[in-house]
Amino acid sequence: MVLKSESAHATDPDDDTRRSLLRHMLVVRGLDEEAHRLQKQGSIDLWASCQGQEAAQVGSALAVGPDPAVFPSYREHAVALLRGVAPDELMAQWAGRTFCGWDPHRVRFFPYTLVLAAQTLHAVGYSIGQRLQGREDFVVVYIGDGATSEGDMSEAMNLAAVESASVLFVCQNNGWAISKPAEEQMRTSLAERARGFGIASARLPGDDPEAVFSACARAAAHIRGERAPYLVEIQVGRIQGHTTSDAQEAYRTPDDLARTRAADPVTAYAARLSDRGLVDSAWLDGVDAEVREMRELLVKEYA
Amino acid sequence: MSTVRSTGLAESINATLADLLDSDPRLLLLGEDIGRLGGVFRVTRDLQRRFGADRVRDSLLAESTIIGQAVGMAISGLVPVCEIQFDGFSYPAVNQLVTQAARIGGRWNGRVSPSLVVRIPTGGGFRGVEHHNESNEALFARYPGISVACPSTGEDADQILRHAVTLGSPVVMYEPIRLYWRRSAPARDPEPARSPSAARIVRRGTDLTVATFGAITHEVLEAAHALAPDVDVEVVDLRWVAPIDMNTVLESVARTGRLLVVHEASKDLGIGAEIAASVAEHGFDALRGPVRRLAPDRRTYPPANFEKDYLIGVQEIKDEVLVMTK
Ligand SMILES: Cc1ncc(C[n+]2csc(CCOP(=O)(O)OP(=O)(O)O)c2C)c(N)n1
Ligand SMILES: [Mg+2]
Repeated sequence: MVLKSESAHATDPDDDTRRSLLRHMLVVRGLDEEAHRLQKQGSIDLWASCQGQEAAQVGSALAVGPDPAVFPSYREHAVALLRGVAPDELMAQWAGRTFCGWDPHRVRFFPYTLVLAAQTLHAVGYSIGQRLQGREDFVVVYIGDGATSEGDMSEAMNLAAVESASVLFVCQNNGWAISKPAEEQMRTSLAERARGFGIASARLPGDDPEAVFSACARAAAHIRGERAPYLVEIQVGRIQGHTTSDAQEAYRTPDDLARTRAADPVTAYAARLSDRGLVDSAWLDGVDAEVREMRELLVKEYA
Repeated sequence: MSTVRSTGLAESINATLADLLDSDPRLLLLGEDIGRLGGVFRVTRDLQRRFGADRVRDSLLAESTIIGQAVGMAISGLVPVCEIQFDGFSYPAVNQLVTQAARIGGRWNGRVSPSLVVRIPTGGGFRGVEHHNESNEALFARYPGISVACPSTGEDADQILRHAVTLGSPVVMYEPIRLYWRRSAPARDPEPARSPSAARIVRRGTDLTVATFGAITHEVLEAAHALAPDVDVEVVDLRWVAPIDMNTVLESVARTGRLLVVHEASKDLGIGAEIAASVAEHGFDALRGPVRRLAPDRRTYPPANFEKDYLIGVQEIKDEVLVMTK
């Protein structure tokens, strides 16, 4: 499904940023593929793939910059890497070694929260707490489409609105909550729901990292300027099952799956930047080498 | 039998909170109607006026919001002291308390240690309407990562609160509603507790130990005083039901040889069951008779006209002690 972005891009990425967007997307794709391989051979227990959501994650994370604390859900692996979580640190909890493999303070990327939507209230409370102490109060919180049905999400939006908290809600609407389609989860868009709470919002397709970057840069400017919350709803595809334990073929049509794979944002963006001459094969080989090294490191650590 | 005058629990908690707000700038209060009104029980009376609306915060009317945002505030370095308006309305906050507040320190591998206190008015005996008389401390006591305190005096509440705000993990403190304004109490031995998290022997005795906590400690003490000198009852006020100071209980049982557990919450799967099991495991040889529990049957707290039948009174405690020491 192609959605029209609700307003024009205000902050376009420059060429360095474009290459950075692509590099992060390619790296996390490599990590995600390696995670699947490791899971298949029994080296890690479970993996929640982010394939199809890379543009949304990389675009939003680069747009807000390194300062805001990030409260993720559980599949924001691209954001994690971009923030400086090491690949083996990211993998640790999926291998049963810990509940969180990285130092959340160091990277300001806080632990994954597996109880849906619980992190939304933490994010707003953290932002209020930071503001009360005169510190950086810009906070980003990620949530899936299904999790927005949880009461905590509504409570968090209301709290953020009432307190005028500097919180960016990023809803990655991948169309599915395990097997429940988003159309059966809600009657209106999240963007529209946010406005009902008094939160400015935008809804946009998540296949193009530049569009995501621009929308989130605008959202960030709104948050910093108004000291008020904002919600972006990013429409993405879910290429893999909910997790490695999920047989999505049981509830998705072959057509749907084929279309989602064909709309892969990573290959599309790589082709686009190549076409525009922003990256060449030497550049792509360089990223490939980086990915290969990362995968070797993961194999050494986990296989 | 001796009764002494005491400060009401509400007034004494108010003084402690004021002092804590005064001495620790990271501390803030958060709850429904606690600011402008001073709380429905006036426990936070005047505190907003004194410390400002930033630090004494009238929260939204949503319990998950209260605890969820407190978790975030604690991660940011603040020390939130939350109030849930009544025990019966703590359930919307259970998820945030149990799956989040209790586990955040562990999930962060000790890189945050959130001190987060939740004060909950509890218990019956004041003709409350439905849901205003509950005693659900055993629910939270089940969860590792949450400490649960049940003070029965202002002095204990003071010591517990001062300890709780430094603990680095969440504490739920139950405050008996019927003690908020009561200004007299049965006399207690002045012996202090071994530590802020320890139980307290509030009456020394030789014939039987009663382990109890919360408001009903007063009825137990009254019964114990009334039975003296014929039966000499030792009363252990647990003060904390999670973790339980079993050492103090076991040492007391080693001296008296008999144990009765009394609590206001219903009996099944309650705090009394845990204590009885622990004493069976670790203190069996000291026992001169079976451990017994005195607590309401497993049924819903009744309408006010029937609460006297539901609650354990002084007479029943005396009767039970007499049966056990016959
Ligand atoms: C409170 C709660 N209920 C149920 C679950 C089980 N569960 C985990 S993920 C999930 C689907 C979430 O879908 P969505 O929010 O759209 O996020 P996505 O997985 O698609 O990224 C469910 C039902 C959970 N983790 N937490
Ligand atoms: Mg989803």
